[in-house]
Amino acid sequence: MLLECMMNGHAILYTGVTVAFWSTILIVGTCYTIFDLGFRFDVAWFLTETSPFMWANLGIGLAISLSVVGAAWGIYITGSSIIGGGVKAPRIKTKNLVSIIFCEAVAIYGIIMAIVISNMAESFSGTTPETIGARNYQAGYSMFGAGLTVGFSNLFCGICVGIVGSGAALADAQNGNLFVKILIVEIFGSAIGLFGVIVAILQTSKVKMGD
Amino acid sequence: MATKETPQLRSISACLAVFLGLLNILNTGNCDEQVPLIMWTSEGVSVPSQSPPTAGHIVGQQQLASYLEKALSVGPRNVVLFLQDKMSIEDFTMYGGAFGNKQDSVFPNLEGALRSSSSPLVLPAVSWPASNAVIGQLQDQLDTSPLYMDPETLSQLRLNASSPALLVFRLPYGFGADLMSAKDILSGNDEMIGQVLSTMKTQSVPYTAIYTALQPSREAASLSMEAGVGGGRSLLQARGGWRERESKKERQRKIKAKEVIYGPVEFKEGDDTCIMLWATGLSVSILRSGRWEEHDLTPSTFGEGVSPKLAGSTCNKSKARLVLNYEKVLGHSSFKLIFAMSQRHYKVSARRWFTLDAVELEYDGTKATFNGSRHVYAPAEYSYRCGSVTNFRWPVLIPRTSKDPANQWRVSFADFQIQGFNVTGSDFSYASDCAGFFSPGIWMGLITSLLMLLVLTYGLHMIMQLHTMDRFDDPKGPAISVPLTE
Repeated sequence: MLLECMMNGHAILYTGVTVAFWSTILIVGTCYTIFDLGFRFDVAWFLTETSPFMWANLGIGLAISLSVVGAAWGIYITGSSIIGGGVKAPRIKTKNLVSIIFCEAVAIYGIIMAIVISNMAESFSGTTPETIGARNYQAGYSMFGAGLTVGFSNLFCGICVGIVGSGAALADAQNGNLFVKILIVEIFGSAIGLFGVIVAILQTSKVKMGD
Repeated sequence: MATKETPQLRSISACLAVFLGLLNILNTGNCDEQVPLIMWTSEGVSVPSQSPPTAGHIVGQQQLASYLEKALSVGPRNVVLFLQDKMSIEDFTMYGGAFGNKQDSVFPNLEGALRSSSSPLVLPAVSWPASNAVIGQLQDQLDTSPLYMDPETLSQLRLNASSPALLVFRLPYGFGADLMSAKDILSGNDEMIGQVLSTMKTQSVPYTAIYTALQPSREAASLSMEAGVGGGRSLLQARGGWRERESKKERQRKIKAKEVIYGPVEFKEGDDTCIMLWATGLSVSILRSGRWEEHDLTPSTFGEGVSPKLAGSTCNKSKARLVLNYEKVLGHSSFKLIFAMSQRHYKVSARRWFTLDAVELEYDGTKATFNGSRHVYAPAEYSYRCGSVTNFRWPVLIPRTSKDPANQWRVSFADFQIQGFNVTGSDFSYASDCAGFFSPGIWMGLITSLLMLLVLTYGLHMIMQLHTMDRFDDPKGPAISVPLTE
């Protein structure tokens, strides 16, 4: 019966990791409470003592990597459908490359934002929270936030465009008239990625790192 | 009368004999402590060089006197003596680049001087305390009294090749308020030696230079290690054996006995203790004419039978002020070290906290104020403890303004613990330490690594989901054959 409960190796691994994570948090939290050491759990200390550079670089890294994951996923989905549909209906192959281009645009947004954000990273000479200054902290957090914004919006945009594009290819293979209308759906899907880029640019517009 | 005195005399001489005997035993007990001595003449002076002692030989007082006599009878009669507080031959081994890393040596000036001299003499082991007689012997042989100088005053002195002179430069070794490593101190000493030697060169007076110390800086560990606790070795004894562990434990016990065990400074309101303070080191330094002059306040504050004056201290529910009064500190007749603390309820954390608002130094009417509330705080029920509370190294205390006299002071409290409120009994409450369990760097590393792990996990999950297409597999059908021809 136990074997039936454990479905496969993945499930065991993920349940194990989740249980470990939550039990660590629970035990640590309980100990903090019992020993009246809750005052040592200081989020402000964490936010001011960690270096703004970590946040900035995490933002840059996430911007490009999450965008690329979205684009890759989209292309993988669309590409498989185009290739599969193209076996029986070779006429679809040229037209449906547009879907691939929409997915690729998402990756381009990601790399452009990563370059824009990384150009704002400058060195500063402070070591304590007072000498680092509020502006550098704002810069670090803004760059992190912008990276997250563009990364996640491009991730889901890429997946969306990919799935729609796959459906478009298969529909096109059946009936050539359908493609143009489906393209409009794809355009709406692509606009979400653009929104993410715009918001990220707004977030980093006031960033001024340095002394 | 005579008959009555002789028994007394006999008992006195008996006591004296026992005392001298004990002294001798103690002396032979100290025989394994040595201090190196290095002597050289300025370049351009050629004197017959003396043969150094054989390896391992410990130079005694008589032999040292004969070395000095020979050197001074034919060599220059101006002697520059660099007297360090402590020195052992191990300092040269460790920091002199002896392991092929000459570039890391902290003695470049000393080595240069020895190389350019025609008759350097190195005595690696002069028995201590016989070596302390160096100044006395030089004084006798040169017939002058020693002049204690530093590099600035040397440039103002006019030396004469014909009249003898004994110039003594004291070099530190012990750890000052800066807790500088031995390497930095020796490097600083070597720079001072370089300065002095270059000043002597500009004066173009031939001189003899001696570099030695008043005490050894390290105990001779090797003898006790091999001898073991009971003496001798056991069969098949390897390093790290039982005997070595025993001797190590004994040495640690001896060190612990020298360590400080004293109670905290307590300010009492009536019968109850109100403010408590403890530290292993309290020192203040002032910047005067480019140099930091340090004063260690620990012996006048802590120790058995030491009761510092706490006049002016006050204590109530919300404010506590501990005033330590001292006399004759760094040239000031009255000197006060004041710790001002306050406690109140903070709404966001719904808790009472106390802060060390200010550390003030009051002297001769001037007040130097350091702000400490930024870093020194703890819940009001607990005490605050920190390994190092200073204003210059990982500063926790900050001068109140940029023009405050505190900018010329350096204060350093080592292993500092303070409590100003809710003192029950005469013990400190739980010590809220200034160092947390995870440092900021550890947190940053943890977050980044966990993020990477998450990404890796997700990627692995996706890859493991890929399956080979097996819809059209037919294990019972014919195998696929790909003919070579079209």
